[in-house]
Amino acid sequence: MKNLLACVFLASGSLLGAAEPPTITISKSDKLSIGLGALPAEVASVLQNDLLRSGYFKVVPAASAGAGFVVSATGGAGGLLGKVEDRGGKSVLSKTYSGNSRAQAHEFADEIVETLTGNRGFASTKLAFVATRTGKKEIYTADSDGSNLTQLTQDGSISVGPALSPDGRTLAYTGYKSGYADIYQILLGSGARSRIIKFPGTNSGAAYSPEGNRLAVTLSKDGNPELYVTSAGGGSPRRLTRTPGVESSPTWSPDGEEIIYSYVDKGGPQLYRISASGGSPRALSTGHGYNTEPNWSPDGKKVAFNIREGGGFAVAILDLASSETRTVGSGQDPVWGADSRHLVFASGGSLILLDAQTGQRTTLLGGLGAISEPAWSR
Amino acid sequence: MRFSLLLHLLPVAALTFSACANKNKSDRPFGGTTDSDSVSGMALNGSALPERQEGVSFLGNNVDRNRFSPIYFGYDSYTVSPSDSGKIRQIADHLRGGSGTIILAGFTDERGTPEYNRGLGERRALAVRQAVVEAGGNASRIQTVSFGAELPADTGSGESAWAKNRRTEIGVVR
Repeated sequence: MKNLLACVFLASGSLLGAAEPPTITISKSDKLSIGLGALPAEVASVLQNDLLRSGYFKVVPAASAGAGFVVSATGGAGGLLGKVEDRGGKSVLSKTYSGNSRAQAHEFADEIVETLTGNRGFASTKLAFVATRTGKKEIYTADSDGSNLTQLTQDGSISVGPALSPDGRTLAYTGYKSGYADIYQILLGSGARSRIIKFPGTNSGAAYSPEGNRLAVTLSKDGNPELYVTSAGGGSPRRLTRTPGVESSPTWSPDGEEIIYSYVDKGGPQLYRISASGGSPRALSTGHGYNTEPNWSPDGKKVAFNIREGGGFAVAILDLASSETRTVGSGQDPVWGADSRHLVFASGGSLILLDAQTGQRTTLLGGLGAISEPAWSR
Repeated sequence: MRFSLLLHLLPVAALTFSACANKNKSDRPFGGTTDSDSVSGMALNGSALPERQEGVSFLGNNVDRNRFSPIYFGYDSYTVSPSDSGKIRQIADHLRGGSGTIILAGFTDERGTPEYNRGLGERRALAVRQAVVEAGGNASRIQTVSFGAELPADTGSGESAWAKNRRTEIGVVR
């Protein structure tokens, strides 16, 4: 353990652009102490929440002898000038952030995480999900901390299964406005919306590839629900599977070469893995009889998915290298954050953030009727 | 181990399915050709769906959802029960006469995750399509859609409600 701790400080202390992120496990007590110095009022609380939520830091008074690093910032017409100094007063980060004050704080928080830990932060990312606040299922978006809540669709029918492009600029979802299940695309900047996949049968389960230029989807146009890969705009569908059963919930490997999905024929649904260009699927054994809604972590090492447990659903994580599965509590439809450490899922009608490393559960949003099917940009 | 075994059996299962579905064709030996033609011909539900009739919605006024009673399914199952053959024949007869089309809408109970349920619902709709076509119905006049666990027939919980919700409804386009 002492050696591991030494690694943490070496990795965080070297700051040489972090050639390789440290692969050690940081337990609760290994959090880095960070002091908050002078900060513009409109940035301070957002930044502090982001840093705490990242799971890597504990916040202490800036003057405290225990503060390994001190964070400060000054606002101005040119944006937010954010600084991080080590305890010797040496600058380890100094950069100007533009945009509104929340966006500035989120970007600064992510760069602090990346600079001091070598890992990606998720403060600047976007969430999308389904909620029943209006009595109908509609798609909503929010920032990763639950702020900037927006009702995106007003279809008044059934709008479900949102997917966010990795850059958070485009959203795809399954909508029933035509009476059939079609895939719609919304450009979040302009709000422009188009129905991009409307084959006969049911079109659903869209998932953006890591580069954002392809979609994996389940289509039944050829007579059975099968997996297809299309362009991001829904064109040129290419069929991946030919089976008697049902493929659902495709999720991409970080290199865009492979897809994991759930397959059911006779018996309970199981996870399978297939090349994104087709070929023979391979089963992933989890030890559970019901395995659905998989989501592949951005670091490629883990798959979060749903199992049935105690009359409800639990979130489980499969470690691909060791093939070991562990459950992390009740919830539905887990999705990984950019840091491959946090999960967002629905539980009891609320949107939950879970630090899969420490087990800390935070309610991000509630009071919107029943929340389900979150998506998370990376 | 059990799962990888299952996967190895998939091509065999597909061929077995093929043999069942295409009763008029001679059975292919196991280990025979698995090119795309033989596989896509493996089942009636491997035949492409006809072009959609846009403007016709299963939920709209131009579709009669009460003409035929629903086909019900077991838990996590998409097998059409042999005891429903009478209902299936009535639907096939309807498609043989006249020129109308039907929309088969698949539904699940609430005990599944959302995207899994949408897939299972579509498979239930396609299983009824296959049965209707086997009974002589015209495949080119059948559309399908899945609503997953949405729009339950019975909003209660418990097996009696769930059993009513695991269904394929038959919408007759007016």
